[in-house]
Order: sequence, then structure tokens, then C-alpha cells
Amino acid sequence: MPRLKIAIASVAACAIALAVGAFLFAWSGLYSVAASRGHWAVLEVILEFGMRSSVRTHAIGIDVPELDDPALVERGAGHFQGGCAPCHGAPGRSSSPIVHAMLPEPPDLAASAPSWQSEELFWIVKHGLKYTGMPAWASQERDDEVWAVVAFLRRLPQMDAAQYWTLASLDPREQDIPIRSLAQGGPVGTGLAACSRCHGLDGAGRASGAFPRLDIQTADYLFAQLQAYAAGARQSGIMQPVAAELEVAEMRRLAEYYAAQRPAPAQIPAESEDRLLAIGQTLTTAGLPNQGIPSCNSCHAQDPALHNPLYPSLAGQYAAYTAQQLALFKSGGRRDTPAAEIMSVIAERLTAEQIDAVSLYLARLRPGAVERATP
Amino acid sequence: MSDFPNALPRPKGELAELEAIWKLPRGPGVLTVVNNTYIGLAYVATALLFFVLAGILALLMRLQLAVPDNTLIDQGTYNQFFTMHGTVMMFLFAVPVVEAVGILLLPQMQAARDLPFPRLSAFAFWAYLIGGLFFFGSLFFGLAPDGGWFMYPPLTGTRYSPGDNADFWLVGIGFIEISAIAGAIEIIVGILRTRAPGMTLDKMPVFAWAMLVFAGMILFAFPAVILATFLLELERAFQWPFFIPDKGGDPLLWQHLFWFFGHPEVYIIFLPAAGMVSMIVPAMTGVPLVGYRLVVVALVATAFFSFGLWVHHMFATGIPELSLAFFSAASVAVAVPSGIQVFSWIATIAAGRLRLTVPSLFVLGFLAIFVIGGLTGVMVAMVPFDLQTHDTYFIVAHLHYVLIGGMVFPVFAAIYHWTPILSARPLSERLGRWSFGLLFVGVNVTFFPMHIVGLMGMPRRVYTYPEQMGWDWPNLLSTAGAFAIAAGVLVCLVDLALNFRFTTTGSAGNVWRAGTLEWLPNEVYGTRSIPVVSSREPLWDDANLAEDVRAGRYFLPGASTGGRETLITSPIHADPQYLLQIPGPSWRSLLAAAFTAAFFLLLTVKLVVPAVACGVLAVAMIIAWLWQTDPGANHPPVDIGDDLVLPVYVTGPASHSWWAMVALLLVAASLFIALFFSYLYNWTVSPQVWPAATGQRLPVASWPAASATAFMVGSVAMAFSGQMLARAREYGDWPVRLGIACACLALAAGALIELQGHWQTGLRPAMNSYGALVYAVIAVQCQLVAVAVFMGLYTIARSAAGMLTPVRRATFDNTLLFCHYTVGQGLLGLLIVHGFPRIAG
Amino acid sequence: MEAHQAVLSPGGSDAETIATLGWVMFAGGSAIFLGVIGLAVYAHLGGETLRRRLASRRLVFVGGVLFPAVTLTALLTYGLILTGARLAAPEADALRIEVTGEQWWWRVRYPATGDAPEIVTANEIRIPIGRQVEIRLASVDVIHSFWVPSLAGKVDMIPGTVNRIRLHATRTGTYRGQCAEYCGAAHALMAFYVVALEPAQFEDWLAGQRQPAAGPLTALQKQGEGLFLSTGCNGCHAIRGTPAAGTIGPDLTHVGGRLSIAAATLPNAAASFARWIRDNQHIKPNNRMPAFRILPDDQLAALAAYLESLK
Repeated sequence: MPRLKIAIASVAACAIALAVGAFLFAWSGLYSVAASRGHWAVLEVILEFGMRSSVRTHAIGIDVPELDDPALVERGAGHFQGGCAPCHGAPGRSSSPIVHAMLPEPPDLAASAPSWQSEELFWIVKHGLKYTGMPAWASQERDDEVWAVVAFLRRLPQMDAAQYWTLASLDPREQDIPIRSLAQGGPVGTGLAACSRCHGLDGAGRASGAFPRLDIQTADYLFAQLQAYAAGARQSGIMQPVAAELEVAEMRRLAEYYAAQRPAPAQIPAESEDRLLAIGQTLTTAGLPNQGIPSCNSCHAQDPALHNPLYPSLAGQYAAYTAQQLALFKSGGRRDTPAAEIMSVIAERLTAEQIDAVSLYLARLRPGAVERATP
Repeated sequence: MSDFPNALPRPKGELAELEAIWKLPRGPGVLTVVNNTYIGLAYVATALLFFVLAGILALLMRLQLAVPDNTLIDQGTYNQFFTMHGTVMMFLFAVPVVEAVGILLLPQMQAARDLPFPRLSAFAFWAYLIGGLFFFGSLFFGLAPDGGWFMYPPLTGTRYSPGDNADFWLVGIGFIEISAIAGAIEIIVGILRTRAPGMTLDKMPVFAWAMLVFAGMILFAFPAVILATFLLELERAFQWPFFIPDKGGDPLLWQHLFWFFGHPEVYIIFLPAAGMVSMIVPAMTGVPLVGYRLVVVALVATAFFSFGLWVHHMFATGIPELSLAFFSAASVAVAVPSGIQVFSWIATIAAGRLRLTVPSLFVLGFLAIFVIGGLTGVMVAMVPFDLQTHDTYFIVAHLHYVLIGGMVFPVFAAIYHWTPILSARPLSERLGRWSFGLLFVGVNVTFFPMHIVGLMGMPRRVYTYPEQMGWDWPNLLSTAGAFAIAAGVLVCLVDLALNFRFTTTGSAGNVWRAGTLEWLPNEVYGTRSIPVVSSREPLWDDANLAEDVRAGRYFLPGASTGGRETLITSPIHADPQYLLQIPGPSWRSLLAAAFTAAFFLLLTVKLVVPAVACGVLAVAMIIAWLWQTDPGANHPPVDIGDDLVLPVYVTGPASHSWWAMVALLLVAASLFIALFFSYLYNWTVSPQVWPAATGQRLPVASWPAASATAFMVGSVAMAFSGQMLARAREYGDWPVRLGIACACLALAAGALIELQGHWQTGLRPAMNSYGALVYAVIAVQCQLVAVAVFMGLYTIARSAAGMLTPVRRATFDNTLLFCHYTVGQGLLGLLIVHGFPRIAG
Repeated sequence: MEAHQAVLSPGGSDAETIATLGWVMFAGGSAIFLGVIGLAVYAHLGGETLRRRLASRRLVFVGGVLFPAVTLTALLTYGLILTGARLAAPEADALRIEVTGEQWWWRVRYPATGDAPEIVTANEIRIPIGRQVEIRLASVDVIHSFWVPSLAGKVDMIPGTVNRIRLHATRTGTYRGQCAEYCGAAHALMAFYVVALEPAQFEDWLAGQRQPAAGPLTALQKQGEGLFLSTGCNGCHAIRGTPAAGTIGPDLTHVGGRLSIAAATLPNAAASFARWIRDNQHIKPNNRMPAFRILPDDQLAALAAYLESLK
């Protein structure tokens, strides 16, 4: 079949010519990559279309969790202020002219977020966008954090500046912090600003339980966590960037600062079923030996004499945080530090109900008080 | 020579028509081929592929064990490897390869044009190929099962095996077993109904006897393991506690069910191989088998005994010693039939002159290795000795001597022996001798030291061992031997690649001067004409037989009905009864197999929606496939020669489809008996969860009474429908359809009433083992009812399409049989579930 | 350390009987094998007359039916006699022990007798020679199998059932046993020792085991004890005489006096303890204990020194 052969040969020749032409064009450097010039209109339309299609297709099959939880929105806001606002701006505060000169220019999310589905926002926040400057989430293990940002983005369009600042910064006197910290004898500076935005100056977190309490922990533990975040051994798209900016000495000072705070009393969670509390008490004080679960107290002793400074205190910690970390241990999302290696083995043996029960029970305990097994 | 059925010369065009009808489809349609030679060959090739794959796993394991404290393969991977090695060798190589050889050779040995259900063979093959490849592929994703090929719970329950790995085994193997059963039914009907005229049962080739026994054993053995996998999957997916002791289950129930299948499985594998040997030895010595009848009795006796010794895999489980004595005796007794066969072969060798060809060498190697395996088998049948050797390398040695000696060597002998039938040239004697030598030395070097290391205390299924145990040198030796085996297999594969040239015209032919019918000249349509047989080795007794058959002097020298057809003869005397029109190539059976495989595999990885979609497509394809069967008496009776005028369509007990349906019902009955056994077993172990102890309310008697009445109404309605069909000319088709519809409704009502009866008492399947078993009986009954209703609706559809008449009624007859069986099992189920707790508590 | 784990080097009466049975069968089996092969060789190469005599149905009947029927009946009778001997009631003064199989180690209990308290230990059983020992076998998770080849055949440990095995050691010595039923990931590393002692030595050992753990002597051991109680070890392990009362893992009261640690995986030495605590998931992957890489070297050394001191 000579005709077929001729056809195939022509197609092949065209393909080769195109490839060679494209190479020559790229090699010649005639195309300008200047951000100052913008894209050709046609190219811009195609790029936008391709980007939207890609996001839509890749977001297929992502299940959207409940996003109305205020704690989730708060956690998203805390990160947004540090991680997103510098480029995307925030209510009442526009971004820097440097950012305006980016190509493409980072959009104002209050305006553009509503044009995306939640699962699409999730995908963009988690994976970032190629050739736009939009980075991927710093930890690919922490979908829970990405969802917090999505929950915040869903609320952003209805937010005014005052509401935003209430959410994004625990302490309205954020500006004062450097001065205060200097007064306490060291340049904790921006580090403490970043910490206190979420954890508060007193380290007590927030009533919603969006952020863990730091005031109940030892300095050794807090320091080890900051180091783990900085080294990437403990995963968090929120904490890793913050910790990575700190000097070791700064970490030590921050850890000591928060460890020195006087622990606030435990906040009793509103709804707690007696049945769950009983399960929680058993797990905390006696464990469930036939399921291979030792008591919490055997490592996280409340008795200061037995308390190992490398292990966190759990008494009085917010239930939502404890439960979320246990779930993370159980799913394998937190197992790369030596301590997490221990906890993840135990957490794998806990059921979802046991996780809820023990978190609720621990949240009610007074920090530092001793609770012993009833024989 | 006027005593031939057909005169020469044959009319012009007759041969060309025969060739055109049976020819291989062209282009991509080649995949739709159903001829037994093509399917059989592809089947054998696939089985050999799995043999090689599982063998590679074995080599990797041998490398890991070559030296103590080795870290080449980690324990998780090793556990997957030995699980897959055992599972693949047993389920994807051993059973399929003998089934494949059966499909390939039986029609030739019986001078049939094809098997009676060629599309079913094709379905079984494709299901096996696709299912098997995916199953093996699970290894590459770390998803391969790792609970051992025996899958003992509780290790394989969700608590200790939470991943999908175990589900791959349960669903994958369950599916492949169904394919094996399909093949077995095909083989039974093929052997009993498509033999050459005059080939009475006592003139049947021993291989056919062996395959008949083999297929019969599959019908009774496989349902037990299918039930076991079904129960374990229910336990894993829905927490129905059949095997969990805290809830009245018992892990030993699994072992009973598994080994009730697992031990016969060994003989299922061995008997066909022994059958091959009983064909090869006479062919190579030139004299008939000495003690033919004794050998046949031995085959049947082996099958019989093999169902009575499953407990010898459970001697160490703490079963009372006295009952062990019975199973010990039965295990020892099975040596007798094997002995008969061994001495029959020796006597045959003495009677003639054995030519030391490659097949003979493999047979001699088989004899030596198998006798050692048999002797160690007698040793481990002794309870005290077994308590020491059970689960040690002594057993590994024993079982490989039995299976490699008893099965792999005969299969290699068979490859070398029968290749000339299918290939333009035989395999190389020189390469064959190398292959044999390497295999024989390799097997002994690999496995003999394992006896010793087992007695030195090395348990099975360990990924490593410490240095100070003294197990290092036998292990190193075994590893070296394993590579010799691999080399032997490789040489054989090279030989096949160099010399095997598949052909349906002009094969090398009867190079061994053997006496049985498979050595007649075979073309794509089988033999040109179907000879009349009057002895066990017709080719030796009639020197001109081959020529006369080729010339078309015997029965059916052409295509009388213008389509594919074969001769159906009576089961015992092989008298010609009718001419079966058999279907040709089709995409339907192929697609049905592909979608069925996809359904099961997608279900395993919990992709429910695509799985259901594939399931629906599979059912649609099966309907489309079945729609073309049951052609009716579309052709007047034909003269096949010698004034023998045969009908082309028969219904009732004389028809081949009736036999297949009966075989299928035997499978269902075996499964139900295994379920009844499970019920009784868990009751004896844990009566504390039965109603008498728990106070669980039973449904009042009116519930089972209503259910039983509904079932019986179903049977009566079907019987009425049958009467009306016979008189359809008087009353029309409506009473028939109405009867079937009523029967479907009644059956469904019966099952639902029974379900509701238990549900309203508050009993739930996840409560305890009693609840689980009650609902398991109901679930099995509901499956049957669902199939019966499906068949009923299908039959109504046939009627509406005008394809159901007083004559063309095979579809109806099958539905009728199935419905009656469903009702029978339903009533028995009611009796057990409602009667037993009332009597025994 | 010399530890026997072989069917044919028995140290107990049960294993002796089976070894004898084994030797009888090996001899008989070899003879039959040679006979069959000899016949096959004769059938092929023998003289005409001999071959003609072999080529008969009589050979099939005599060789295939008669001969096996006679030999196998004899063998079965022998086997039944052996089995019958195993059915006798336990002796009155039999020592009773309970062994529980757990993934992947052995929990051993010597039940309380009179006012002597129960002893719990792990992965090592000590028995007196010349006295029957009846062991109750149970499992808490999957099926295991209790097997000390030099002493007796194996018996499975099945969840939901209690099986029994009787040992009767005739010679002092150390015998190694191993789990013989595949029990999941680390099945290969589930072994143990049985130490058969003179009766007097055994009583001494028993008395020693009944004592609580001796307190730490050196500062290092003292530090180790503190770490044991504050690092979480006590959550799973018990040491009688200290607050540690965990029951998930092996009782460590006298762990320093055992032959091995981790179910006969490592020799008993301070270095082994340190390795095990820090690196157990590499030594015995998937075992139920977390790896404590969290401990710095000095603390690890203290903990190991303390554990080794628990003789």
C-alpha cells in the first residue's frame, strides 16, 4: 500500500519538522520570559482554561469533610495570616507592590475563592500550581491542615477586617510583642509573634481548641518539637515554616518562655458522655492490656516525680487537639520522630471511639494533678 | 470392505465444508476461538506460565534461606512469597494444568470433534487467565496475601490481617475455583457422553478414567473450600463470627472445611498425572497396561479414601487421640491403591520392551521420586511421628516428593509424549534428556536434605534461622538443587521454543506407535470420521484404522447439519444417541469471563460501583451467550452412516445439558452439606450460643410453615408449568409463563419469609456463631432462589420470543430441575434451622 | 550454648519413643524403596523368564494389595500401641505449667501451689528431670504450636481452647523449642528454651523465682530503674517488687537470669538489652513493642544495666 506509506511518511516528516522548529525557537531565545510584559491574550486564555480544567479533573474523588467547625476556621486563619496574606493580601490590608508585579498576580482570595469548589481549593492548597509561584503545602501528610485553610477560605468573602483580625491573631496587641519580649530579657522577637498569633502569649491556645496548649509542657518537650518541625521530622505545613526560621537558641528561649507560663486550669468540654468518660478513665489509668494498650499514665505520668520531660503532658490539653494527633499517629501521619515511633504503635491499637473517649477525659484533668488507677 | 458405515469416495466439497466450519477465526477474532485444541493449548501454556512464576518465587525463597540470618528478603515479603508460591502452584498451576490437558486431549482420545460445551471451556480459560494474572499481580503492589496458602483464621481475620491482602486470596481463589468447577462439569459430560461408538466404560483410556474421577472429586471437594472462603469473607466484611471463639465460633471449623478440600486436592492433582503415566507406559512398551481393571478400581478407591483422611493435617490440633486413629488408618490405607498402580506399571514394563525415550525417563524418574514421597507419606500418617514432623521441613520434603514426583514429572512426560500430536515435529530427545537429568538431580538435591533438616528441628514458613542450629549446610544444598531444577525447566522451555510448531494439519503424528485414538490423524475438526471402537488400543488392533478414519469411512465424515457438531453416545455402552450441534467462536463467553473477573477483582479492592457495573455487564454477556444455546430441532434427523439416523435435538435425561445440570446441582448439594456440617460443628463446640442456652427466641412454627408452603407452591407451579408446556398446542403459552412467574414469586416469598421470621426475633448475624450460621443458611438459600428466579425470568423471555415449545424445551427442563432442587434445599434448610434447636437445643 | 532441637537426639521419653518409631520406619521404608526400584530394574533389564513372571496381574495384586495390607496393618498396630500409651491419666505428682502463645513470644506461668505464689516468666521453661510435666497450652491471638523436638511432638495452641502436652525429660540439658504453626509476620523468631534440671536444682530455681526482684545496687542500675518507671516500660512489663505491673509484655522480674531475650532471638547480655530497646523493630520486625530510639546512649546503658541485673 504505497499511499498509506506516503501518508505515514508525510505525517512523520511534519512532526519532525515541528519538533526541530520548536527547538530552534527555544534555542534562539526570541521568546521573552519577562514578567513585566504579560502573556499574549490568547495564551492567557488557554493557560487559564488548562489550569482550571486540570484542577477540576484532579479534584475528582476528593471527599469534603465538615467545614463549619469554628476551630477549623480559626486554625486556617492563623496560618493564612503568616503563610498566605503576604502574597494574597487580607481584608483591610493589600499586598505589597512587589507582589503586584508577579505574573500571574496572586489573586485576592476574598474575590476569587467563591469561584472554586471546596475540593478544588483543597487540591490547589495542597499541591500548589506550577509556573504561578503558588507553592504546594509544606507537608503532604497533613490534609487536616489543608482543610482548615479551605474552611477559612470559604468564610473569607464574608469577612471584614475586624472579624479577620479577631480570627487571625489571638492578641490584638500584636504590635506590642517585640517590646514585651525584650522586656523579658531576650530577642524572642518575631518568633514569639508567630507563636502567640495562635497559641497566645500565655500559651493557653484558644477556647475553641483550635491550637494546642503550650503552657502545660516542659521546655525540653517544646524544644524537641520545634527542632522536629524545623528538621521536617514532625510534619505540619503550619508549624514547619515557622520553626524553620528560628535559630536553635531562639527555639530554646521560646520553649523556656512557654514552659515557664503558669498553666491555666483545664477547660471542661461542654458535652461529655459518662460512658465515654469511663472508657477514657480506664485508658488513662489502667489501659486495656488484652488489646495491647498500656495506660496513658505509664508514659504521660501526671506525677511530676515520674514525669519524663521528653513526653508531653496531656492533662488539660484540648480534646480536639489530642484526638486529632492520635488520629494522625494512628494513620501513620506522625511517626518520624523517636517519640512518635513509640506513640504511633500504641495509637494504631486504639479505635476511633477510644480516641474520642481518652481525649475528652484527659481534657478535663487539672494540669499537674495526680490521677492513679483505682485497684 | 462393505462393513464400513460410509462408502468411498466421499462427495466433493464435504471435506472443504468441514474445514470451513471448524477453522480458526481471523484477525482479532482469534481470541474468540473455542476449539478444544486451541483453548486446551492456551490453557496448558498459561498453567506453565504460572508454574514458572511460582517457581521464581521459590528460587527467591531458596536464596534467602541459603545462609543463616540472611537479610536478602524481609519477613513481610517472604511471607507473601511462600503464601503465593503455595497458592499459585496449587490453584493456578496444578489443577488448571491437568484440567487443561484434559480439555486438550480428551476429545481426541474419544474421537469426538470437540467437548460438549466449548464456550464453557473458553469461559473457564479466560476467567482463569485474567483472574490469575491479576491475582499474581497483587505481589507487585505489596497486596499479596500473606496468611499462608491454608489461610488459617484467626490470623486471616480482620483483627490480625486488616489489609486487603487476605481478601485477594479469598475472592481471587474463590473465583478461580468456580472456573475449575466449570471445567470439571465440562469434562464429566464430555467423558460420559462424547465417546466414540463402542468405547464402553471398560474400553475407555485410563487417562479418561482418571479425568472422570478427577472431575467428580472436584464437584465434591471444591464446594467445601468455596464455602469456607465465603464464610471467612462474611466474617471479614460483616463481622459474622464463624471462626471467632469469643462469639461461639471456632478456628478449627476452617481447618476442617479447608482440608476436606485440601487433602482430596492432592489426589485431584495426582490421579490425572497417574492416568497420563498409565497411557505413556503402554505406548512406550508396546503392550497393553497390565491390570487395567485393578488400576481403574485403584483410581476410584483413591478418590473414595481421599475424602476420609483430611484430619491427618490436623493431628496436632488436640483432637482426641482415638478419633485420630481412624484417620491414621485411612491415611495409611490410601497407600494400597497407589501401590496397585506402581506395580501395574512395573508389570507392564516387564511385559513389553520399554523404549528409553524422554517420556519414559520422566516416568521412571516419577516412579522413584513418587515412591519415596509415598513412603514418607506412610510415615507421617503415623500420629506420633507426625507430631514431630508436622509443619517442619520434613513435610516440605514429603509434599514436594509427592507433588513434583507425582505430578510435575508426569506432566513433563506428557509434554514430551503428546507434543507430536500438536506439533509439526517432536521435541528434541537430546534436550529432553538434559532437562530430565537436571530435574531429577535437582529435585533430589533440593528436597532430600529437607527431610534431614526437618528432623533437625527446622519448622516450615520461617524466613530465616539462626546460625548455631546446624541447618546451614542442608539449606545451602537445597538452594543449589533449586537452581538445577530451574535449569531443567529452562532447558525444556528452550526445547519447546525451538521445536514446538503448533499445527492442525500435518502434525508429526504417531511417532511412538501408540494404540489409542488421540494418535489418529487429527485436523482442526478432530478426526475426519468417528471410528467404531472394539478394544482399548484400537490402533494396535486395526492397522488400517488411521487410514480408514482419514478417508471418511466411519461415522459422520462431514458436517451433516451444516454447523459444528459431535456425536453424543450413551454413558456406559457408548451407543450413538444423537447429534449435538455445538456453538462456535463467540465474543460473548470471552467478555462474560472478562467482566466476571473484573467484578470479583474490583470488589476485592472495594471499588463497589465499578464492580457492580461489571457484574451487570457480565450477567448481560452470559444471557447473550446462553440465548444462542438450545437451538431446538432445527434440522431433521440425519444419517451419519450405516443407516444410523440420529436426531439433532434431545431433551430430558438423554440430553447432555441435563447431565451438566445434575452435575451442577451436585456441587450445590456438596456446598450445602458442608454448611450443614459447619452448623453442627460449631454447635458441638459452642452450644452455649445456641438458643437453648442463650434463651434466644425462635420464630414461632407458623413462620417456617409459611416459608415451606411457599417453597412447595413454587415446585408445584413449576410442575404445572411443565404439564402446560407439553400441551402448549392446546392451551397456548400463557399458562406456562404464568406457572413460571408464580413459581418465581413463591420461591422469593419463601426465602423472604424465612429471613423476616428470624429478623423479627431480634437475632442478628453478627451476634454470635449461631446467628451467623442461621443467616448463612438463609444467604445460601437466597443465592439459589435468586438464580432460580433469574432462570425463571429467562425462561419466560424465551417463551415470549417463541423459543420455548413442547419439543424445544431444554431451557425449561433445566430451570425445572434447578427450581426443584432449590425447593428441596430450602425445605432441608428449614428443617435444620428450625428443627435442630428445638430438638437438640 | 548447646541447645538441642532435633527429633533424633531425644532428651525425653516421648521423643525417644518417636525416634525409635522413626528409625524403624526409615529402615523399612528404605528396604521397600530398594525393593520397588529393584523390581523396576529387573522388569526392564531382567532375563526373559523373570520378566515374564513379573508381567502378570499377580504381581499387581501381590505387590499392590497383599504386601501393603500386611505391612501397613503391622505398622498401624505398632502405632496404635504407642498412641494407647499416651492416653494414660496424668501422674499424681505431675508438675503443672501453663504456657500461652502470643505474637511472638511465650508467656509461662507456674500456678500457685499451697502458699507458694504463682510465678510468671517468659520464653523459658525450667523443668525437673524424671518427673512428668503437664503443660496447659493456650493462645491469646492466633494459632501457635508448642514444639520442643528433643522432648516431645508438637501440640497446637488454639484461641478458645486449652490443649495439653506432657513432657518427661530423662536427661538434663537445654532444649530449644520453636513455634511450629505459622502465626504471622515474625513467626520465624518465636523460639524458647526448656531447661531440664536435677530435681534439687529445679527446686532452688523455683524458690529463687518466687522472690521479688532484687533492688538496684549501683548508681547506674538505680538510674535504670528510674527510667524503667518513667519511660513507659512499666506500661507493658511487670517487675515484682517495683510499681511496674504491666501485663501486656513479658514479666521481667528475673529477666537477667534467663538464657535469652526476645523469645530466644538474642543472647542475654546488657548489650542485647540496649540493642533490643532501641532497635527491636529491626531485630524482630512487627513485634508488638515500640522501638525506644528516644533514649540517649547514657540512659540506654543505665536501663540495660538495670535489666541485666535482674537475675
